[in-house]
Amino acid sequence: MLTIERLSKSFDGIAAISDVTLEFPTGSLTAVIGPNGAGKTTLFNLISGAFKADAGRVMLDGIDLVGLARAEIVRCGIARAFQVASIFPSFTVEETLNAAVQAHRGRAAVLDRRFPLAECCERAHEVMDMLGLAKEADTLSARLSHGDQKLLDVALALVLQPRVLLLDEPTAGMGPDERWQMIERVYRLWEREKMTVVFIEHDMDIVFKIANSIRVLCYGRVLAEGTPDQIRGNADVIAAYLGTEDGANP
Amino acid sequence: MDIASLVSCFGSAACVVTQVTSGLIIGMLLFLVAAGLTLIFGVLKVINFTHGSFYMLGAYFALTIFKLSDSYVLTLFGAAFGTALVGLVFERLFMSRVYGQNMLMQLLVCYGFILIFDDVVKIVWGAEFRSMGMPALFQVPPIFVAGGVVPPFYLFLVGVTVVIGGLLWLVIERTRFGKIVRAVAHNPSMVSVLGINTGILYGMVFALGGLLAGFAGALAAPVRSLTPGMGFSILIESFIVTVIGGMGSIVGAFVGALLIGLIRTFGSVGFPLFTEGLMYLFMVLVLIAKPTGLFGKEIA
Amino acid sequence: MRHSFRRDMIIGAIAVTALVLLPLVWPNKAFIDFTIRGASFALFATSLNLLVGYGGMVSFGHGMFFGLGAYSFGLLMQRTGMSIPAAFALTIVVTAAVALAVGAICVRLKEIYFAFLTLAFQMFLYSLVILWVPLTGGDQGLRGGIPRPSFLGIDLADQRQLYIASCVLLVGGLILMHHIVESPFGYTLRMIRDNATRAAFLGVEVFRIKLVAFVLAGIFGGIGGVIMSLFVSGAYPEFANWTMSGEAVFIVMLGGISTFFGPVVGTVILLLLNDVVTRFTEYYGLTLGAIILLFALGLRRGLTDFLLDYWRRSPWVLAAAKRGR
Repeated sequence: MLTIERLSKSFDGIAAISDVTLEFPTGSLTAVIGPNGAGKTTLFNLISGAFKADAGRVMLDGIDLVGLARAEIVRCGIARAFQVASIFPSFTVEETLNAAVQAHRGRAAVLDRRFPLAECCERAHEVMDMLGLAKEADTLSARLSHGDQKLLDVALALVLQPRVLLLDEPTAGMGPDERWQMIERVYRLWEREKMTVVFIEHDMDIVFKIANSIRVLCYGRVLAEGTPDQIRGNADVIAAYLGTEDGANP
Repeated sequence: MDIASLVSCFGSAACVVTQVTSGLIIGMLLFLVAAGLTLIFGVLKVINFTHGSFYMLGAYFALTIFKLSDSYVLTLFGAAFGTALVGLVFERLFMSRVYGQNMLMQLLVCYGFILIFDDVVKIVWGAEFRSMGMPALFQVPPIFVAGGVVPPFYLFLVGVTVVIGGLLWLVIERTRFGKIVRAVAHNPSMVSVLGINTGILYGMVFALGGLLAGFAGALAAPVRSLTPGMGFSILIESFIVTVIGGMGSIVGAFVGALLIGLIRTFGSVGFPLFTEGLMYLFMVLVLIAKPTGLFGKEIA
Repeated sequence: MRHSFRRDMIIGAIAVTALVLLPLVWPNKAFIDFTIRGASFALFATSLNLLVGYGGMVSFGHGMFFGLGAYSFGLLMQRTGMSIPAAFALTIVVTAAVALAVGAICVRLKEIYFAFLTLAFQMFLYSLVILWVPLTGGDQGLRGGIPRPSFLGIDLADQRQLYIASCVLLVGGLILMHHIVESPFGYTLRMIRDNATRAAFLGVEVFRIKLVAFVLAGIFGGIGGVIMSLFVSGAYPEFANWTMSGEAVFIVMLGGISTFFGPVVGTVILLLLNDVVTRFTEYYGLTLGAIILLFALGLRRGLTDFLLDYWRRSPWVLAAAKRGR
């Protein structure tokens, strides 16, 4: 279970996250929603160690992650994908995933042949198949379509076999058809891998269709949490958020 | 190492005065060159490795203009504007082709021009040492301050540089051009937001950098001997100045230049063979303590 | 792909054999001298490319390792009278230790700040060389020649044997460096070059990898310096000066940073340019400058980068790629 206890972070005196307490049960598929500037990405940055929290704890199965280096947090089992696809332009898709598994297994400093571990390559192929990237295995990442770059970003996180997968707007910048394709893939991999998935999403149709629980952030605080049905009926959420957002009515 | 002479120098007012004045001279010339370097970096995020050559060209322009006109005022302006023109042409025709590329490509273009400028100087003015001579106006007996010798030209040089530094500050802080320069230095994407013609802006910044370096060259001409390689040494030193002061900071360039000037002169008393080593040691220490330099903004 | 190392070894053995046999059929002293110098520069420039091309770390101070290699080898030979292999091994240890200390401070910085900090360290070292006259001979350098006693029947005072030794060191060094860049370590280094932030989020310890790369590059740069000190039988302050780093950066740029052999090609181009241009014109700077501009503004990249691009875009390759689909 991933537990966030009284987490706070401010930048130049402006609170981005204040006193946030949240739980993400093991194996849940949770959407984090909220208007722009609600602190959703900051929350991910704090969990994954990009920023250090001012106060509070991030507990993963009893281990406090606050203060650990990014690499150590990854080893604890938390992997993330980014809002803007963060990839390695000069690597092919297959090289990217091979290199990522290898780096993760602590074989980064080994002076051996290129990709020595057979199980690394197997894992890379498994993930490519799972996300439908196999046909692009030999394509340079820089030449992939936008959608495939986002997929590769997700694949990079997934290839590490994390216990918790943080997806920051996996459908950002995609057309309607592409979005559903992406989200179906996310849903299938969640079903298959039985890991904890937390995703940030603006499209309410997607959120209410696939998430089995929802956390609503607003101005750096938790506004509401619960199942899609509970959130749908929550007056605070409707007032603060749903009523103002286009296409928000399910 | 000669710590004893350094201590005895600090014990004598005359020695301190002499060393401080020559330190100021070095510092002022360095400031003029480094200010242009740091300005260009601030706006274009490009390091102009040919900046030392601009200084050299300024000095040689001064040599010729002074020979022809015998007027030092005309010499100063002629050399400064001549070098500004070189800067403008160099930027528009050559540097502008390698923006947005690998930093090494910019380095390569600059290196090519360093070689070319040095050879051009050799062809036009000859490879041997040249000197311009002191203008008649300053051929007066030196002033003595607390027993230390202060040549009148030194006072002029420091005074003029301070005035130019002030003018530069006014231009940056008070004019529309300065506003644009600051905005772009702060946030490069401002160029498109403000609807600025980048070609004109970049050309102007290079011309301004050339103006300052050329002016420095003309100021140095009466007190330094001119050789085709003179651009190199000042280039390295003004790098140290900009790095210590913080890339992109004019105030930093001023403080850094003064520090390096004083380190050089007092270092030459105490550590005659290790003067350069002292500068580099100082640079290493500053970079370790504050990688962005004394007045540089932290990289977000 | 373990056999790729074996393949490198086979190609390397063929290359060494060819280089050794060449002077037998074409005895030319100028060629022998050229190759020894070339071996020194090629190792030095390729080691810089480990940082620049594979690590994205542009060092302006790589010459410090060239100088360090030349001076420590020369001093060990002059002062201690140890055998050449022992001095060689000890020089590598010294270079690695200095690279570790300097790298630990430098690799934390990025881009231009890394470049200048490395330059500052190099110039600091250079100043020490000038200052410490009793040890280094100051601006005169290590004079009086470096003793080159025979070992294992090899006499490096003989130019022909030095030529063979240089070829072996060159090819061996290149094979090792090629192995490094093709290893998991090499791929991790490229990940850091492409996207250090993302690499950190995959569990890469960026600082450690960069530091190891810095040390490895320092060692091979130092070996380049050792060859040079054997060649000139001395060590001079210029070896440690910033111009040395400048030359290496220049070679890397001329040859290209996206292929492993780019710096080797760049070395040959620069040495040929030096020899040819100085022979035919007194306006060395003007000519070399113009050629540099031709590269920078005409090709807009190093020669091998240009050829690689040209090759990838050629109709034949595109057609082959289509058939492959």
